[in-house]
Amino acid sequence: MNIDFDITRGVTVAKLHERRLDAAGAPDLKSRIGRRIAEGERLIVLDMTPVEFVDSTGLSAILSALKGVAPDGKLALAGCRPVVLELLKLTRLDRILQHFPTAEEATQSIAIA
Amino acid sequence: MAQDKTPPPRGLAFPILQHARYGLALPRGALTARELLTATALTIRDRAVEGLLDTEERYLEADAKRLYYLSMEFLLGRSLENNLQNLGLLAETRQVLAELGGDLEAVLAAEHDAALGNGGPGRLAACFLDSLASLDLPGFGYGVHYEYGLFRQEIEHGRQREQPDNWRAYGSPWEIERPAETCLVPLYGYIEHTVDAEGRYNPLWLGWKVLVGIPYDLPVIGYGGRTVNWLRLFAARSSQEFDMEIWNEGDYLRAVAQKLESEKISKVLYPADTVAGSRELRLLQEYFLVACAVRDMVRRFERRKAADFADFPQKVAIQLNDTHPSLAVLELMRILIDEKRLPWEDAWQIVAASCGYTHHTLMSEALERWPVALFETILPRHLQILYEVNHRFLAEVAAHWPGDVDRLRRMSIIEESDPRQARMAHLAIVASHSVNGVAATHSEQVKTALVPDFHELWPEKFNNKTNGVTPRRWLLTANPGLAALLDEAIGPGWAADLGRLRKLESLVDDTSFRAAFAAVKRGNKERLTRLIAETTRVEVDPGTLFDVQVSRIHEYKRQLLNVLHIAHQYLALCEDGELPPVPKTYVFAGKAAPGYWAAKQVILLIHSLAGVIRRDPRARGWLRVVFIPDYRVSLAEVIIPAGELSEQIATAGTEASGTGNMKLAMNGALTVGTLDGANAELRQEVGAENLFLFGLTGEEIGALRANGGYRPAEIYANDPALRRVLDTFDGERFSPGDRGRFDWVRRSLVSDGDPYFVLADFAAYRAVQERAGRAYLEPAAWWRAAILNVARTGRFSSDRTIREYAEEIWGLQSIAP
Repeated sequence: MNIDFDITRGVTVAKLHERRLDAAGAPDLKSRIGRRIAEGERLIVLDMTPVEFVDSTGLSAILSALKGVAPDGKLALAGCRPVVLELLKLTRLDRILQHFPTAEEATQSIAIA
Repeated sequence: MAQDKTPPPRGLAFPILQHARYGLALPRGALTARELLTATALTIRDRAVEGLLDTEERYLEADAKRLYYLSMEFLLGRSLENNLQNLGLLAETRQVLAELGGDLEAVLAAEHDAALGNGGPGRLAACFLDSLASLDLPGFGYGVHYEYGLFRQEIEHGRQREQPDNWRAYGSPWEIERPAETCLVPLYGYIEHTVDAEGRYNPLWLGWKVLVGIPYDLPVIGYGGRTVNWLRLFAARSSQEFDMEIWNEGDYLRAVAQKLESEKISKVLYPADTVAGSRELRLLQEYFLVACAVRDMVRRFERRKAADFADFPQKVAIQLNDTHPSLAVLELMRILIDEKRLPWEDAWQIVAASCGYTHHTLMSEALERWPVALFETILPRHLQILYEVNHRFLAEVAAHWPGDVDRLRRMSIIEESDPRQARMAHLAIVASHSVNGVAATHSEQVKTALVPDFHELWPEKFNNKTNGVTPRRWLLTANPGLAALLDEAIGPGWAADLGRLRKLESLVDDTSFRAAFAAVKRGNKERLTRLIAETTRVEVDPGTLFDVQVSRIHEYKRQLLNVLHIAHQYLALCEDGELPPVPKTYVFAGKAAPGYWAAKQVILLIHSLAGVIRRDPRARGWLRVVFIPDYRVSLAEVIIPAGELSEQIATAGTEASGTGNMKLAMNGALTVGTLDGANAELRQEVGAENLFLFGLTGEEIGALRANGGYRPAEIYANDPALRRVLDTFDGERFSPGDRGRFDWVRRSLVSDGDPYFVLADFAAYRAVQERAGRAYLEPAAWWRAAILNVARTGRFSSDRTIREYAEEIWGLQSIAP
């Protein structure tokens, strides 16, 4: 999966460059984020701007990352399109995942927190 | 290229030719009936679309409250003639097609019925859509875009054979695909239990497969063409992402197989309007419809300015056509709670204020139940919601009747059987602000026999909405001869105000009117005679009394009672020299559910009896029996106008309403019927002297059942005529070379308890048939009664039914231009 990682103000921003977060790429996302969490990176923003669809494996990968940073870390989503937000609401993931319009706002929010 | 200076034809001809050329890529020249059908339909669709867009503009401007009618079935039939009628273009189209070298009748006949339904409730849904649009009411239908409708019935050696009904084989010119309004439908998966930031329980629905629902809109043109609503049917497709998941696993064939598997949800209509057992596909179909419909209506609601869900019930009414779409309750709750974050109590109030439920039958097999385990597999989040709904409901029940454990068990939405079942009728009642039956006696039975506990708890919810049928399709279009006579006699306008038919009462003793009426009936019978000859190669005499029983084949409808009587008449003729009072042709039509052995045996029995009678010269001129295959709406439109005696002989207490009774009476048939369903109201309207009622009432049958006092063996022993009939079925007379083929008849009626009280009503039925036959011998009195039937069936227009729903349940206003 095509992902760029960048660290800003202590927050790891994972920028996805895929239109789909699905069974094809989700395992890769999960393992790469998992490695970073294991290395101590506990504040993570997933920049989902280009993503048009997330399937259940994609959501599981996100949930896995969320569990990975708990209890003292934070995971936020950024740039989610309406169709992705709809899926987050459908699954109620939106209640346990913060999401922001942009990666900058997400970074600012969890860095401060 | 030289310019063509001929001015383009006006009216319909030009667009028809344009569609033929540019839509169908056909060269100039003679067009076949089918090509003309498509080109004409597309032309009319253009006009319908104009109407659709104008109507929608009106509704938006008025911020109108909308009614969404959810039904798993819409038995539409053919659309072109109905649409032309409603637009007032029938005559013009006839002329234009003739000028183009075609023939309107041939073009109309080329249209395949859209049989997206099994019978009564499906056809009711279609009549309702017609009335909604005709009354300028913002009412819309949601259904499933089945690729295959109700099976095509073929008869082979007297036996039903089912063939797939590919109703869209030549395309469907009416539908408008709406890919931009697809809906995502999650299925299966599991619940992961988490807590949110405030420490509250937060169930995550994960691991689902996603289906896509693609909408197809069919315009519904109201009479007069002022208002065009739509019927939105959803077709299932696998999501591209689903495809990719399988594709990535590298197995193309498995990918295709799984894709087809997921798309089977909208492949075929379930060929039975009762659901037994845990057929997973049917539950998937029901949820698919509901998920798409609720998503669609919520989206439309949210497009309004400053949409606040507290206003949802003021802007949206949802009617559940039987229990089949009752998952809409849970789906709407899920969306309101999970996606819109409303508190439970607010969401529940919205759902209850928006939803109405129509119950259609009293048959126990129609009380839908789904195994809880199936729910858990397919809809885990909905099951959670269902449990919570039930929990709160049972708390209310316990508060109302403290300590009454039996009542809790009876009323619970979850039946604690093995396996545990979800009772969908209970869910629908609990969640709806209105629960209606479909005829006065039926609605009473719903309250007193079906769900008395619920009625005791919430008497205000229960009401009656007697069914109706659209007079446009069933009288104006199906019976043009009678329609023209009515126009001449009482003036036009009755098709939009069927009560005007009452004016005919002043003409019942007018001999020339009676003669004209009789001539119309004769013409219809001749038309049916030709159809019978074409489809069955059986010759019938239009001069005989046409006795018609057309409906689904089911034991409770008692085609068997009719057959026993015919057999009796035949045996009396042959063995006693007793002539029937009047020469008769018995017309049967109807389909049996593919898995329903007893119903299929009745079809075989009818054919066998018909064959024996036909081959017997003694019966010639007196008795003829014919079974017309593949009963469908377009066939009903020919049979019903020709009917003279209308058989509505279901066991009292089993037929919720019936609508065939209304259609036949509206077309001048006299009813032979039990006091059941809408027959009671028919009697009230047309007068007891103008139809032939017989048999045990629902109360009498209930009493016999309750005290175990019904002894069919005694009836058999004490009625020689009946005994002769039943004994004959045991032999070979009606099954030459195959003794025992029909021994089930005596066995089921005498030894196995006769659960539908056929023997109990046999003597009374014989007597009433005799009376009806003798009545036919007095034409003046007969036609008088027939005219009064037409005159007094105004109440059975679906316009009246819809007005009642609109006023009393939906709070819907007409938005006329």
